[in-house]
Amino acid sequence: MNEIKPSKSIGIRKSLVDGPEKVSGKAKYSSDFMPIGCLVGRIFRSPVAHAEIIKVDIEEAKLLPGVKAVITGDETDEPFGILPIARFEFPLARDKVRYRGEPVACVAAIDVETAQKAIDLIKFKYKELPAYFTSKDAMAEGTVDLHDHRPRNIEREVDFELGEVDKGLSDADFVIEESFNCAEVCQVQSEPHAAIAEYDAEREFITVRASTQVPYYDHLMLAKVLKMDEAQIRVVKPFVGGGFGCRTESLNVTLICALVARAANGTVGLTVSREETFITHRGRPETDIEMRIGVKKDGTITAVDYTAIQRGGAYSGYGVVTILYSGGLLFGLYDLTAVRYKGFRVLTNTPPPGAMRGHGITNVRYAFEALLDKIATKLKIDAIEIRRKNLLKGPNYETLNEMFINSYGLPECLDWVEKESQWNQRKGKMGKFRGLGVACGHYISGASKPVNWTGEPHATVHLKLDWDGSITILTGAPEIGQGSSTMTTQCAAEVLGLDMSRFQIITSDSKLTPKDNGSYSSRVTYMVGNAAIDAATNLKKILIEAAARKLDANPDDVECLGEYYSAGSQDEGLTFNEVVTAALEGTGTITVKGNFDTLPESWGTKKYRGGAISGSMAYAYAAQVVEVSVDPDTAEIKVEKVWAAQDVGKALNPLSVEGQIEGSVWMGMGQAISEGTLYHNGLGITNSMLDYRVPTIIESPPIEVGIIESIDPNGPFGAKEAGETSLIAFIPALTNAVADAIGVRPTDLPVTPDKLMELIEKNTKNENSVT
Amino acid sequence: MEFMPNFKLYRPDNVDDAIKIKTEHAEVRFVAGGTDMIVNVRRGIEQPQCLVDLTSISNMNDITEVDGGLEIGANVTLRNVQENKFIRQNYPCIAEAAGSVAGPTHQQYGTVGGNLCLDTRCLFYNQSEWWRQSNDYCLKERGDTCHVAPSGKRCFAAFSGDLAPSMLVYEAEINVVGPSGSRRIPLLELYRDDGMAHLTLEPGELVERVHLPATLAGDPSRYEKARIRGSIDFPLAGVAIRLRKGKSNAVEDIAIALTAVNPYPKVISDLQNLIDGKLSEDELDFIRDTVRKQSKPMRTTTVAPWYRRRVVGAIARRLAAELSA
Repeated sequence: MNEIKPSKSIGIRKSLVDGPEKVSGKAKYSSDFMPIGCLVGRIFRSPVAHAEIIKVDIEEAKLLPGVKAVITGDETDEPFGILPIARFEFPLARDKVRYRGEPVACVAAIDVETAQKAIDLIKFKYKELPAYFTSKDAMAEGTVDLHDHRPRNIEREVDFELGEVDKGLSDADFVIEESFNCAEVCQVQSEPHAAIAEYDAEREFITVRASTQVPYYDHLMLAKVLKMDEAQIRVVKPFVGGGFGCRTESLNVTLICALVARAANGTVGLTVSREETFITHRGRPETDIEMRIGVKKDGTITAVDYTAIQRGGAYSGYGVVTILYSGGLLFGLYDLTAVRYKGFRVLTNTPPPGAMRGHGITNVRYAFEALLDKIATKLKIDAIEIRRKNLLKGPNYETLNEMFINSYGLPECLDWVEKESQWNQRKGKMGKFRGLGVACGHYISGASKPVNWTGEPHATVHLKLDWDGSITILTGAPEIGQGSSTMTTQCAAEVLGLDMSRFQIITSDSKLTPKDNGSYSSRVTYMVGNAAIDAATNLKKILIEAAARKLDANPDDVECLGEYYSAGSQDEGLTFNEVVTAALEGTGTITVKGNFDTLPESWGTKKYRGGAISGSMAYAYAAQVVEVSVDPDTAEIKVEKVWAAQDVGKALNPLSVEGQIEGSVWMGMGQAISEGTLYHNGLGITNSMLDYRVPTIIESPPIEVGIIESIDPNGPFGAKEAGETSLIAFIPALTNAVADAIGVRPTDLPVTPDKLMELIEKNTKNENSVT
Repeated sequence: MEFMPNFKLYRPDNVDDAIKIKTEHAEVRFVAGGTDMIVNVRRGIEQPQCLVDLTSISNMNDITEVDGGLEIGANVTLRNVQENKFIRQNYPCIAEAAGSVAGPTHQQYGTVGGNLCLDTRCLFYNQSEWWRQSNDYCLKERGDTCHVAPSGKRCFAAFSGDLAPSMLVYEAEINVVGPSGSRRIPLLELYRDDGMAHLTLEPGELVERVHLPATLAGDPSRYEKARIRGSIDFPLAGVAIRLRKGKSNAVEDIAIALTAVNPYPKVISDLQNLIDGKLSEDELDFIRDTVRKQSKPMRTTTVAPWYRRRVVGAIARRLAAELSA
């Protein structure tokens, strides 16, 4: 007889458990759930950027045959918002409209043509107010406030100093400063926003399916704006075509859909266009950064002093958190002894950004890494060496803002990209118009304090074991394409030593699965992975005890080999199915649960208001080298090759990890060289996939991925974040490569050819300029 | 993308029927590949009651060699142009241009006729109905202001087809068929300098086929365009050059045509002094500067007009240098 071994699932390249449905087209997304008789929802949107609403006249629209409901801001006076401290957005505008495209009314009709005809019959009367499309204009003296409770249109001001910054700057041998502008960007996930709401008037019950990353927050906000008991609501998340952060808060599309379904007393599907998805927004805000860094001659950083201003759009969303991340997450990558940060989140008459991948830190990190590169050039220190000079002192390290760091693979990441890119042999010898650049980044593995504090564990996973020997994993963690269902299955399978085929997973249905906060801040692998391990460990204990009973052995002597359980002293063991039968005797179907909670040591600092933001159980690290060429005639940048190393703690599924890192490179490339929203008096002019230029496969460079495993002591099998960190490092690595290629350093993103040509020409006129 | 409005679709199998349907109905448009037009229909820019699909007209589907020259039916797809051996050998920049249109899926459906008759483009025009309504429409469509040049009364929407310049450098002619019969005109005469009505076709007329002359077959040529992405994007500026060299590398014949920097495909004039000479640095600079001077990009895209003018000259210079080397 062959030796029986437990099945292994961790650290093995596993294809995604929900892959077959996706590639065969069987997967059902929100807009695929349209039963017969389903009404079509359509939103009337504000044509103006800032106005007092005088009247939304819907009388004619309501009379149109085929129209079942028309609702306006009168439908609910309950505001929504992700942050309890900043809920002042209504699903449909009430007193004022504050950006072009803001939802004003919604129609539910028997078909889309009728719905559009009804939209055309709505008369919107308003009194225009001055509108502000830039942070500077909105913050100026004498402006009209968008919201009465936010004077001067400042949503949040952050101001902290940790360490002695003035002393650090005066002790420095050099102080270098620069201003940066990063354009607003959007996620452009493949699936436009969609929701379908089914109102059951008999039971006063509503079922909502939506393209969301946070069904639980949707549930809360639905109850709030519908003024319904939470128990009368069911939220289901079907397959979701990506999110990258734009669905990490309840979106007006979902709430409006539910409101209009109730008004129509029926089922309404609301699928918005790509343009409306851009308008719904929740991308990365335009950010202006002024930063100065003081350094010693040897490259040691003595102080950092910077300001970040974010154009926050008309409502808060995650805004307060974003501007806090822009401060808190400066720490934890390098050893910083003095940092001063001023952050301004500004309210403007543009659509509200949100929590895009690399939330809050991407633009600040870009500025920091670009400036560090400039310093290295000036001091004639190698760009990798200056980073090594400033590494954290060891993997157990507490930053000035009391980050809980227990694993730190950045040194190994730098070693890997240096070696693989042949940095030392090639840097500085690339010839004209070709260059190499390096940069680093880091990111949290889940926010340790949830935005909605309840006292419940951060994550709960249920495992249901039944007579047939199959195990059903029940988790609220939303699979949005990132592979969380596969990860959860792997974790449970590994603990029980079973093949993954014994498991089926059901996710994100509030009537079936335990609550989960959602897929954001890279929390799922760390938190839900740990909860899955806990649940599987609990199940294993039950199975071992059942086997011990059956074998008349001591549980301590029973060994679990996955498909086989044996007691050390006996020849004959039990098959898994026999153990299951034994376990179910007298008790029936078994459901166990596992939890995960964060440790208080990871809850951030109390040294300044909002210091909990950026507290995490672990941080992932990345270093990247990018090779570019620049066309001297057209100033077009071509990314020739990328070496991307990331410390992910432990690659639970190396295939998924590689995919995440490659995707990070693509997304970073968009922000770096081609993507950015543009507005004409507040009207988005780039709100299509033609005019908003996401890189295509043609732009995709060869990407070499280096997986570094630092084994975090608290992570599931040592794992940490894998989906955001590498995006952050790519952008400055690219601009640093451009500076290396042509001797001109871009400061503003995206570095489109027209902007780069302008820089090149300015530089030609001033040959002495220092890069 | 907005929803597809209802319309009646006709699919005639001959040109006469197509023209008859077109003239008998109001609010009717011809459609071939539809890769550009259907987008405009969904956006409400075009609101046809009927569409006349030309792709079933069989005698417009062929590429035929005629006396050393070539006839290309208007229904021939961009992919077939790109893959055609005779075109690749004898009119190379035409194949190159066809292969640079949008992406591979567009090339599979997009046709020669459609690309030649492509509507002009502008960032204030190629937007959704809600967007244009919120912006009070524009001179080209239902409005009375040009948002590109608000003080003027002209439309500057840019012609952005890739095929036209590549065919113009080969002095292509086209067959136009309409209610009053058939006529053969130089391709250049299909266009005029007006972003609102850049085609000279009369109501009911369609482009049936393109003729490429035997006399220029085999002349070396190149087409290149500037764009942000290497796929999908319309040209920010496109250049086609045909350059035939004679004895001791002297220029025997040269033609340059541009796209995306004027409301019509622009054939560059004043190049006659280059004939019989060699293209050294000075001549290449002359080409660059002449091209820049004759291109008039306006703020019809998100990319700055000054850049497009600079780059159209730079590309022309580079292609000329390449062909003269």
